[in-house]
Amino acid sequence: MTRWGMVIDLDRCTGCAACEVACKSENNIATVPSRQADMGRAISWMKVMTEVEGEFPNNTLQFYPRPCMHCDNPPCITVCPVRATYINDEGLVGQIYPRCIGCRYCANACPYTVKYFNWYGPEWSESERRHLNPDVSVRPKGVIEKCTFCHHRLQKAREAARAEGRVLREEDYQPACAEVCPTGAIVFGDLDNPNHRVAELKEDPRAMRLLEDLGTQPKVYYLRSRQ
Amino acid sequence: MIEQPLPPGGPGARMTGVSGARSRVWRYVGVGLPLLGLLVPVLLVAVRRPAVSQPIEFNHLKHTKDLQLDCQFCHEYVTSGAHSGLPAADKCGICHQVPQGESAEAARVTELLTRGDPLQFNKLFRLADHVFYTHSRHVGIAKLECERCHGGIATTERPPKRPLVTITMDYCISCHRETGQSVDCVTCHR
Repeated sequence: MTRWGMVIDLDRCTGCAACEVACKSENNIATVPSRQADMGRAISWMKVMTEVEGEFPNNTLQFYPRPCMHCDNPPCITVCPVRATYINDEGLVGQIYPRCIGCRYCANACPYTVKYFNWYGPEWSESERRHLNPDVSVRPKGVIEKCTFCHHRLQKAREAARAEGRVLREEDYQPACAEVCPTGAIVFGDLDNPNHRVAELKEDPRAMRLLEDLGTQPKVYYLRSRQ
Repeated sequence: MIEQPLPPGGPGARMTGVSGARSRVWRYVGVGLPLLGLLVPVLLVAVRRPAVSQPIEFNHLKHTKDLQLDCQFCHEYVTSGAHSGLPAADKCGICHQVPQGESAEAARVTELLTRGDPLQFNKLFRLADHVFYTHSRHVGIAKLECERCHGGIATTERPPKRPLVTITMDYCISCHRETGQSVDCVTCHR
């Protein structure tokens, strides 16, 4: 059974935030006016979180790129009253915008705070509008959105593979963040397929998951040598 | 047998109250029904899809049946793209640069082409914005017939103002179930 997942090597991450930018442009994520962003209303499906360790000037930074964890046991789906968010057979946690009623239960249930509410309708300048990705919807005001592991890319890759009469390869389906990462810190693939790099990497002794004790079983693994 | 005195007003007068209410109900119905009959068509017209007009009275039947043109001749991207594509003026110009046939419309096409009219055809079938459909998947890979979703558009003699078939999610899902295709939400909605 396919279980799409991600391994992020924190020892390689430089905190450049290319993944954030790539994600925003790939997924038509609206920019929010700065005053609203100060109120915590900015949307960032992929966010580079920073952990500061030690006292200045002897401090170090640890960056944690944080997408949706696509948990195997997602707390967001159990609270959704309309099944707008659900987990599919391949372990992807979907968010169906036309079905979402904007109650924000899921955003509050998510311990990783990856779910974002659209407080406003998206506003695009004329030049931005021309660059919108036609494979991804533009979310209206009043719905929750989150990282989809660039699911639309999976569909395109499947379609291309079928048209060429071959099976789907690991490199066919890569989310925008993994594709753009300059240090190759983000690795994406099928966690249950021994031929995929992630299957091996998740067994690495450095591997850990965020808030593992909650039992959400996230499918995003972090590799970190510093304890 | 004791004769019961008739109530004033004759037999049946005791029912006056009830029959009065009944006649009042009938009066409401009498006024309400014609009003409803007027309102419903007005509302139906108001919520109906707007009519789609085309630059020329294109005869699908002539081109598909008599001339045996393939759908893909004009709808170029039907097997490879998300949209099937509509023909541009140069496509019509392949034949209609010089007068063809005897119909007045064919003569008008040639005239429009010589005048340099772009012949902007308008999309007739539209899915909701939140539906992600591709022709390449359905026609290119699954080899579905055009009629499955578009009805008898290929045999029309003039462009219809509205789609011949209304496609609903129910229609998509039932076909996906029959053919064993994915009914996962994210397959079409994202």
